[in-house]
Order: sequence, then C-alpha cells, then structure tokens
Amino acid sequence: MAKLFSMLGVVALVLGMFAPVALADNHVDMAKVRVLHASPDAPAVDVYVNDEAVVEGAAFKDATDYLELPAGDHTVDIYAEGTMEEEDPVLSTDVSVEGGQAYTVAAVNTVDSLQLEAFEDTMEAEEGMAKLRVGHLIPDGPAVDVGEIEGDAIFSGAEFPSATDYEDVEAGTYDLEVRTQEGDQLIDLSGTEVEEGNVYSAFAVGTADSPEILLLQDNQEMPSEMPATGFGGASESATNAVLYASILGAIAMGAGFILFRKRQEA
Amino acid sequence: MGLLVFFISFQFMHEEPSEGTRVLSTSESSQTKAEDEPGQDTIETTSISQTERKPPYNGITPSKIEIPSIQVSAPITKEGLTENGGMEVPDNDKDVGWFEPGTKPGDKGNAVLAGHVDSYKGPAVFFDLDQLKAGDEILIHGEDSTLTFEVKEVVAYPTDEAPINQIFGSSDAPSLNLITCTGLYDREAETHQERLVVYTEVVDQKDA
Repeated sequence: MAKLFSMLGVVALVLGMFAPVALADNHVDMAKVRVLHASPDAPAVDVYVNDEAVVEGAAFKDATDYLELPAGDHTVDIYAEGTMEEEDPVLSTDVSVEGGQAYTVAAVNTVDSLQLEAFEDTMEAEEGMAKLRVGHLIPDGPAVDVGEIEGDAIFSGAEFPSATDYEDVEAGTYDLEVRTQEGDQLIDLSGTEVEEGNVYSAFAVGTADSPEILLLQDNQEMPSEMPATGFGGASESATNAVLYASILGAIAMGAGFILFRKRQEA
Repeated sequence: MGLLVFFISFQFMHEEPSEGTRVLSTSESSQTKAEDEPGQDTIETTSISQTERKPPYNGITPSKIEIPSIQVSAPITKEGLTENGGMEVPDNDKDVGWFEPGTKPGDKGNAVLAGHVDSYKGPAVFFDLDQLKAGDEILIHGEDSTLTFEVKEVVAYPTDEAPINQIFGSSDAPSLNLITCTGLYDREAETHQERLVVYTEVVDQKDA
C-alpha cells in the first residue's frame, strides 16, 4: 500500500513539474495593412474596414501605421471625410490578405478615376543592408528611372500605378533622383539617408507638374522579448515553494518510515 | 507517501504561473480583442479602433513620469535594443526607460516605458505598478508640454506569453504601455515569471 502511494506520488510529481505552457501566438495568422492617400485632388477621407473606422480625416500624402487584420477577406470602404452616415463610399472594394504578410493599400489616381492599389510589403532587410523600392503613383506621369545623379539607374521604367521590387542597398547617404527614361530629372533626392536594417518604400505622388516623394519605412523596430525588470529583492521566490515542499515531504517520509518500522516491530 | 505529501504541498504553495494571463484591472468598456462594438466611446488596445479625432496630440520626447495614485515620480531615460534584440532597461532602480526606437508618447502608436519592480535589495521605481486601476492617471512631461494618459487595463502575463506585437506594435490611437516584472521570482532563471503591462490611452495635453 505504501508502495502504491509513493508510486502515485512520483507520477503526480512528474506530471506537476511538466505543467503545460500554452503557446499563445496570436499573430501567426494576422496580416499587417497600412493605408496611403495618394490621390492628388481627392479630399480628406475616412477609411472603414469591415464597417469599422480605421482612420479619419486622412488627407493626400497621409499614411497610417500598420494595422493588424486577420488573414482572409475584408471590405474596405473609403468615404469623403465625415460622410459615412449620409453618403455612399467614394471607393469600396474587397481585399484578401494572407497571414504573416504586410501590405500597403493606396488610394490612387485623380478623384474622378479613384482606385485602390495594393502592394505587398517586405518588413525585413538582409543582414547588414537596407532595402529600397520605388512606387509610381503619379496619374499622368511618364515611366521613370530612379538612380544616383549621374549614375546608373537602380530602378528602370517604373510606370503608374505600380511599385518595383525591393533592391538590397548598402547603408549610406545617396544623391538620388527620379528621372525620365531619357534622363531629365523630375525629383531631386539628394542627401537621401539609407540606414542599415531599414526597409524603405519611396512612393512618387502628386502630379506630373508637381511630383514629390513620400518616403515610408516598411519595417518596425520592436524587441524580440520582454525586458527583465526585476532582481527579486522584494519578490517572493518560486524556488522557495519547492524548498518548503521538499522539507515537508522529507518530514512526511521520515515520519512514515518511523511508523512503518514501529509497526513491523510491533 | 512522502513524495505524495511533497506533491500536494508543492501545489498549495506554488502559484501556478502557467495558468495564464491574469487581468488585474479593466475599465468597463475596454476590450482586449480585435472585435469592436461600434459606437463605443473608449479606444481599444489593439490597432483597429474607433478613432475619435480630437485635438490632434503632439508626440513628445518624455523626460519625466508621474503617477499620483501610487506616488511615482521619476526621470525617464532613452533606451534602445540590446545586442540580442531585447529592450534595454535602466541599470538602476530609480529611472524609467522609454523605448526610443518605438513611438513617442502622444504620437499614434504604442509608446512603451519599462521600469524595475525591484532591485537585489528591495523595491524599485515600479514596485507598486500592479496597484494601478482603470481610470488612474499617468502624467508624462516633455520639454514643452505634459501629456495625461488614463489607465485602461492592467494585465499580468507569463513572461513568454506577453503579446509583444500588441504592446510594442502599431496602434491607431496614441497609447502608452508601462511594463515591469511581476509574479514569483525564479532564482534559477534569474528573472520573474510574469510581466505586468499597464495599458493606457491619451486623454489630454497641456503646454508646460
């Protein structure tokens, strides 16, 4: 009988030590989406996703931070600012997003031809490098090259409405320019700082007459784990519990042993 | 038999940390999930929220934190990432660290402040953080203005289960999250078993 109890005790103890730790990774099937207002003549807008407002009063050139959406299909409605109650959305579309992927959804073109373009974003650069891509969101603009002034094109022939693939770029300061394919400068980007580990999307927005670059960062700086902010000087220890329990256990074992022997002798 | 006694007493004495997340305080209408109720006045802790666009708030570089309800008044230092990719923290028990690569208090997103709960010898600056209740106020002073944040929720997570993205990631309203250690201290691992997160949202900004 005593043996049975102690066996049970061992089993229970072993099970107790390997208490299950639920892995709560709620973000494996979430997508990240940011919204960009890139229509040069459209008014400020309110953006709704699945009938919930995600940004209000976004004007031309405003970009939201990345929002998290569950993977799957979502309805995006864009209303002229403040008109959700009274009027139909200016633009309405369904988007399909995959878990673990980031997107930029841009409202592009003039207000009469307003459309949504979705781009897939990368959020990590290669070790020791940066990533850069260019988006052409100027409705009446010609195809463009982007490269260093007096240097070769890094990106060639980008057309509206599209974004190039990312190029790996070494960290540094570059005198870049956006130019026609014939070489005429459209936007002077001298002194562009590219930092290691960052991912950049340079969206050309505006009109052919007044183009400009909106430089967005696609990566987010976040620690990989929670910081350790305590040293136990004013906290109860987990291992104290083990200590007290073992002492009690030892006493019980000792008592049991003595009793057992006494019974035997009796 | 001795082992059985050991096991039973161990269970009684030992706070099971892996029971999961403990919510210490929450305001009535705040939620922790992404689903919202439309028409709610409060701002949720995740990134999709009903934004009430109000006086647009200006982000500030924080220099001092005050929490009247638990008598905290401390300088704020800038902290970055460690070599291992974790968050740096102050090396003393008086300063509160602000995660500088992240968001400024007052800007859209989650600004994060971390402070020690205790040192080797005794309580540290955030020792009483777990006493905070929904509705308590936090004052963040910058060079030109002071922001007031209101506590929405206080949650303790087993260390490995703290939702990093939710705490440090993007959010649509200007939020401030305070973090420290809590729960039992594991002397072998040399760290606490839980992390405490106080979720707060901005309510006011005044010029200095």
